[in-house]
Amino acid sequence: MAHRHFFSLLLDTLLWSYTFLATHKIIYNKIIMSIRYPEFSWGQPLICLILGLITSALIYFFLPGLSIGRAIYFKTYARLNRPFFKRPYIYVAFLIFFITLISGLYVSQVSLREFFSHSGLMGAKRIFIALFTPNFGILEESLFAAIETIYMAFIATLFAIPIAFVLSFFAAKNLMMGSPLFKIIYTILRFILNLTRSIEPLIWAIIFSVWVGIGPFSGMLALCIHSIASLSKLYSEQIEAIDQGTMEAITSTGARPVQIVWFGVVPQIILPFVSFTIYRWDINVRMATIIGLVGGGGIGTLLMQYQGLAKWNEVGLLVLIIATIVWAMDTISTKIRQAIK
Amino acid sequence: MLAVKKLNKIYPNGTHALKNVSFDVKKGEFLIIIGLSGSGKSTLLRCINRLIDLTSGSIIFEGVEISKQEGAALRKTRSKIGMVFQNFNLIPRFSVLKNTLTGALTRTGTLASILGNFSKEDEKKARGFLKTVGLNGKERSRADNLSGGEQQRLGMARALMQDPILLLADEPVASLDPATSHTVMDYLKKINKELGVTIICNLHFLSLVREYGTKVLALKDGEIVYQGPPDGIDEKWFKTIYGEEAKEVGIN
Ligand SMILES: Nc1ncnc2c1ncn2[C@@H]1O[C@H](COP(=O)(O)OP(=O)(O)O)[C@@H](O)[C@H]1O
Ligand SMILES: [Mg+2]
Repeated sequence: MAHRHFFSLLLDTLLWSYTFLATHKIIYNKIIMSIRYPEFSWGQPLICLILGLITSALIYFFLPGLSIGRAIYFKTYARLNRPFFKRPYIYVAFLIFFITLISGLYVSQVSLREFFSHSGLMGAKRIFIALFTPNFGILEESLFAAIETIYMAFIATLFAIPIAFVLSFFAAKNLMMGSPLFKIIYTILRFILNLTRSIEPLIWAIIFSVWVGIGPFSGMLALCIHSIASLSKLYSEQIEAIDQGTMEAITSTGARPVQIVWFGVVPQIILPFVSFTIYRWDINVRMATIIGLVGGGGIGTLLMQYQGLAKWNEVGLLVLIIATIVWAMDTISTKIRQAIK
Repeated sequence: MLAVKKLNKIYPNGTHALKNVSFDVKKGEFLIIIGLSGSGKSTLLRCINRLIDLTSGSIIFEGVEISKQEGAALRKTRSKIGMVFQNFNLIPRFSVLKNTLTGALTRTGTLASILGNFSKEDEKKARGFLKTVGLNGKERSRADNLSGGEQQRLGMARALMQDPILLLADEPVASLDPATSHTVMDYLKKINKELGVTIICNLHFLSLVREYGTKVLALKDGEIVYQGPPDGIDEKWFKTIYGEEAKEVGIN
């Protein structure tokens, strides 16, 4: 119970500190005072933190109805049966949302004036006309690059499958709680996989382009490593969701561990595995295009080059081809996944 | 053939599921275990073939202490003890024949079994046992296309493939309708009588107990409250086991 009070107070403190900080730095300094580069010191967030703590403490003791932390950690206190707009903390949430909205619009420099300015509209017109009159002169070159991209995605997926397949069994909680050693392997593997997955393929491509040089190989490696991490996760979640009964039955026949997995687990997961894998290939083709933008080879690299030269008609053709590939992959993968369900 | 002595099972969450359970099973017996849901019936069966580890006590099977066995020795013991389950626990997408053959995994090489290379004798045997449980002609159907009763009989065929001397049945008829229940119980009786397999069976219905059991063991909150012949379970015992409010319901 005590930890709930703590977390609810902590959440409120953070929310209020944020509110004070955003109000002061963006709404007051930048918008109202129009200071372009308001001075910053670490004392400011510290003061906001202290103010936030004071505010939430006051709310905690005197106006608990306003506390978002309470609403989240103490369901009963929030009187969830009250109508939505009669809950006081909802208005605090609105206030925070509103401040964030204003700050967000300001920070992303949303400006209708520029959006509808004459030169802006002319630029948009020029680029759209160029995009819609693609230059088919570079069709051959583009198709080759597109094929490179598709193959790159295919090989990346293919290499990732067996590795992810094996890893997924060691990353499945229900199979790994047997002995302390298994638990350690499970924990370490999960950690590595999560870390790998949290790094975007784009970053991996940059790392590998330094490692093995710019080109399709670095793109393939980037996709492969990210696919291994995410397929392992999807696969192992599937393994965790199996019906343990079959495994129990196979175990009771006196089967060996590998046989237990092969007969008690694999038949239940094979279809979802195929489905995930095809889905992953689909994702990889899309990503391969993006990765090309940072030098991962294929059609993305080509797009980057023409874009740099401001050759919009050529870019138009490339965009058309990419759209076609993505659409085709999407359709095919959906069809296959429906067929094997 | 089986002697359970002072068996205790405490789950990691602290549930004391079995308390000092002791009993003997003689060869050829059809022992029925009754008790309310949660009384520890499933736990008891799973301790006998060591699907779960016991906390303390001893289990002597065919003169061998099996409660601490591991690895190959444990697999050898398990292979002599067949088991059928309330939810059948088959491999749904596999054929009836292949499901039966999984009962022979223990004597098939790891690689051979992965490649699906079961021996000719085992295949012949599997067909024989499918006939025993009345599933001949269905060898090639998928297991999930069978009716509930048929799936349970397939579960029995799989267990028989192990050449078991003891068969554990965990509420084998609890997911079946009354008529099918009788058919399935009749097959169990046949396995007991004709193949000489000793049977320990968890049941819910008292009427089935009197009809099929040669001995009854009643559990309540993890303790044995009755041990003896089926006719010994009268109104008074029934109330002790199932509580004062209980009424005997028949199954016909
Ligand atoms: N895996 C488990 N972890 C913790 N407690 C369990 C587990 N399995 C069963 N129990 C508990 O042990 C007791 C006996 O359960 P069980 O053997 O399944 O009874 P029965 O088969 O007679 O219904 C119950 O109180 C149940 O909640
Ligand atoms: Mg049970």
